[in-house]
Amino acid sequence: MMNDEMEQFENRLRRQPVKEIPGEWRVKILAATQTASRPRPRVPFLSTLNSQLSTIFWPHPKAWAGLAAVWIFILVLNFSTRDSSPQLAVKSTPPSPEVIVQLQKQQRMFAELMGPRDPAVADRPKPQMPRPRSQCTEWQVG
Amino acid sequence: MKMPAGLDIERFYDEHAQPLFAFLLNLTRDEADTRDLLQEIFVKLAREPKLLDGVREERAFLIRLAHNAAIDLMRRRGTRERTKENFAAEIISVFAPASDPDEAVFREQLTQALAELPPEQRAVTHLKLWVGLTFEEIATALEIPPNTAASRYRYALDKMRARLRPLYEEMKKAE
Repeated sequence: MMNDEMEQFENRLRRQPVKEIPGEWRVKILAATQTASRPRPRVPFLSTLNSQLSTIFWPHPKAWAGLAAVWIFILVLNFSTRDSSPQLAVKSTPPSPEVIVQLQKQQRMFAELMGPRDPAVADRPKPQMPRPRSQCTEWQVG
Repeated sequence: MKMPAGLDIERFYDEHAQPLFAFLLNLTRDEADTRDLLQEIFVKLAREPKLLDGVREERAFLIRLAHNAAIDLMRRRGTRERTKENFAAEIISVFAPASDPDEAVFREQLTQALAELPPEQRAVTHLKLWVGLTFEEIATALEIPPNTAASRYRYALDKMRARLRPLYEEMKKAE
């Protein structure tokens, strides 16, 4: 009973005719396929680049031109206000002999305070650990 | 109008454009989008006739192309566009205009009921009822298991029946 009803409903839906495709589409779509199937002429690199750049810059050419002008202004300003005076390192004079003597004195005082230098822990030779029997190659060879 | 690799695009159009049109219209609910997608499919075939190499079921293959193209389009549409689609669903009918007023109301309600289905259920329902494909053919075309196709169809039919029951009962009584 339920299945019959469902089948009737299904058949009712099936009988509804779907909309027809507009006739004028045929000519337009087939014309588009003809154009698409033709081999495309090779476009030179510069032309491609030009079209790509146009695509990027086209929406707001004035804004891009303004941005470029601002950059040029910044560069000009940068070059015109560049400091032409010699560098600090060039200008500086060597320290006086008094200063050198003073520094050497300080260095010696510091060495005395530190006391005699102990050899570093890392420098000490490691105690020889007994090796496993398998590694006693000299004995085996002997 | 023969295509380079022997593809007769005119025959292709005459045999398959009508069912593809109705299918795409049911999915997109927009005539302009349907035309764009239909053109995209035929242009793709004209440009790459090799796509059809080894294809046994032309109809199923074209339906797969159409379905994928429609899904891509729906993904490309943003939320705003989807709202527009829902609004348009109330106006764009998938069915031919009816002279009988009762039949006209039924088709309008049916269009509405179809619009309320999820796209995957709508696709299966359309292919089963108005293209006349079997579940196996639908499964091949939409790249889903036949059981999934069958269950989607059953769910969709139940929903549509519940939605159209009052009107359907009334019309049955009048008959």
